[in-house]
Amino acid sequence: MKRLATLVVSVLFLGVLAGCGATPKEGPDGAAGAASGAMGADGTALGRSGGYGSNLDDPNGPGRMGRGEMGRVIHFDFNSAMLTAEAEQILAYNARNLAKTSGRIQIEGHCDERGTREYNLALGQQRAEAAARFLVSQGIPANRIKTVSYGKERPVVKGHDEMSWSQNRRAEINSQ
Amino acid sequence: MTCNLKPTILALFLFPCDSTPQPGVVEIIDAVRKVPHWNNRGLSTPKGGVGIVMRCVGRWFVSRFFNKVTMTWVGLLSLWLCVISHPALGALRIDITKGGLQPMPIALSDLVDLSPSGSVLGQNAWGHKLNEVITADLERSGLFKPLDPKSFIQSPAELWQQGPNFRDWRLIGAEAVVSGAVHEKDGKLIADFFLHDVFQGSLVGKGKRFTAPLRDWRHVAHRIADEIYTRLTGESGYFTSRIAFVASNGDMKWMALMDQDGANRVDLTHDRSLVLTPRFAPTGEQLFYLSYETGQPRIYRWELYTGKRTIQGDYPGLNSAPAWSPDGQRMALTLSKDGNPEVYLRDLRSGDLRRLTENNAIDTSPSFSPDGSQIVFNSDRAGSPQIYVMDANGGNARRLTFEGSYNAAPAWSPRGDLIAYVSGGGGHFRIAVIDPSGQNGRTLTDSWMDESPTWSPNGRVILFSRQTGSQTKLYTIDLTGHNERLVKLEDNINGSDPSWSPLIK
Repeated sequence: MKRLATLVVSVLFLGVLAGCGATPKEGPDGAAGAASGAMGADGTALGRSGGYGSNLDDPNGPGRMGRGEMGRVIHFDFNSAMLTAEAEQILAYNARNLAKTSGRIQIEGHCDERGTREYNLALGQQRAEAAARFLVSQGIPANRIKTVSYGKERPVVKGHDEMSWSQNRRAEINSQ
Repeated sequence: MTCNLKPTILALFLFPCDSTPQPGVVEIIDAVRKVPHWNNRGLSTPKGGVGIVMRCVGRWFVSRFFNKVTMTWVGLLSLWLCVISHPALGALRIDITKGGLQPMPIALSDLVDLSPSGSVLGQNAWGHKLNEVITADLERSGLFKPLDPKSFIQSPAELWQQGPNFRDWRLIGAEAVVSGAVHEKDGKLIADFFLHDVFQGSLVGKGKRFTAPLRDWRHVAHRIADEIYTRLTGESGYFTSRIAFVASNGDMKWMALMDQDGANRVDLTHDRSLVLTPRFAPTGEQLFYLSYETGQPRIYRWELYTGKRTIQGDYPGLNSAPAWSPDGQRMALTLSKDGNPEVYLRDLRSGDLRRLTENNAIDTSPSFSPDGSQIVFNSDRAGSPQIYVMDANGGNARRLTFEGSYNAAPAWSPRGDLIAYVSGGGGHFRIAVIDPSGQNGRTLTDSWMDESPTWSPNGRVILFSRQTGSQTKLYTIDLTGHNERLVKLEDNINGSDPSWSPLIK
């Protein structure tokens, strides 16, 4: 049941994200933001959310939290672990919420499907650690945070184009 | 059962005796194949051992002879005893260093099925099955062109009983011809084969006998194919080898082993954890691999014939990219415990760890040179992933690749002469090779997403995975860039992360 609730929250969140495509702030970057808007407009956003939902069913996946207005997912440029301005805003928002709790935080780093498996594992690790360092800079104790890289093994969107890849290059902040 | 004298005379004529007595007619190879058996608790130890037994064949022959076994083929073997003093290696040879060469026309006749007493049975059930595997192996190598058996003038039985009528084989354009026989005894398959040089009208090497449990019949066929390959190319073969890989079907992913031709698949992992990058030990009896069974990527060692599994360290963050040192004593790996993915060296006995790289960039995918003195790896210390070589203790890193914006996943050839890697550019990722000196880089494949190159045991062929849309399949290609082939997987599953074993005897 808890998982179902998480799924519903995620779907709602993605719906919000897609619907607000016109707001530059919402998208991970310009192109993807525009893409989200387009997806929302033709009603396929739910299909993509469905893909997201099936990922949540993964027995290996840690418990997710659904955090309403602003997400717990940040996105990256190709082959980069640098935090974008949007990513920092999302992380700062998460840090404010996490500061009110004391549970453990797991940050997952992910990549798109291009490039080699081992390099992507390393890149996913760097993405997770970039997010972790930012949370620590916002006052979250480092010993609450664990990082894990899935490389290119756990895409959110299974397409083979830039629209899908931009969604898959990400870090997810999960708290327990 | 008739005692056929004619072939004896013919054989005498074809293979004049040398005065020097030789001990062996046929090398006897005990070809018991170790098979990892999967059960619920893990892999169990198979019965029997592995090993090459080269006995004094004279004794074998004498006992056979005086047991009054029919002389149809035993007689032939006895005469070939004289022949091995002419190890006719030399005339017939494929130069496999050239690319795009004309494959050698070879006549692979079905082995003849014999009764336990040695008489020729009418139907070649085993012989045909063995020959199918031998033919497929040699054809896939791209170095041989097996001729259509329909064109053969001499029947398998005639070929075995009378020796090759070389004029007939010349007529159909064969440069080499293989004759053989197979029989069952005490639940074992016993296969004898001979390789002939058609133009010289002589044997190439000795006859050889392989003995194996019936269930290992494919193993026997691969051994024969390796013999033929070795005698005609001068290099060791690679058909008696296995591939470890990550199999997938829909959302299911698991680790599996199979023969190099895709047969005999054994599924190794049964839980639903993500598993990645299996790596064969230099002995072929253990694997390193990555598993997320604790929720974190950790390296495990799996002993294939005992089923024993041990975690190889539990360092915070990323543990990945395990690579065996050629002596099997050390592992190079990637750890992020010091804040950034770096290459380390771990002593497998003591667990001692030594850091080999130190910079703010990603360093990963280490692979040892065959002499163990150097490690090739990839690093984006210069801004994009490129291939570097360093000493095995970490010093003297130097950059090998300067072309392309994404060069990664290097694999050092077991011959030492080349490094295979993934070369990315223009949205494509291809398999490429380069000299360890950084010279003569060239791209071998052209597709959208090729990765995970791994070498055949003889360093002539590269196995890799190719993603096309949502499908990922395994392919091989010669280091010359010719002869790209799909490896057919049983049940049409997907395969990735291949690791090619050493030769399995």
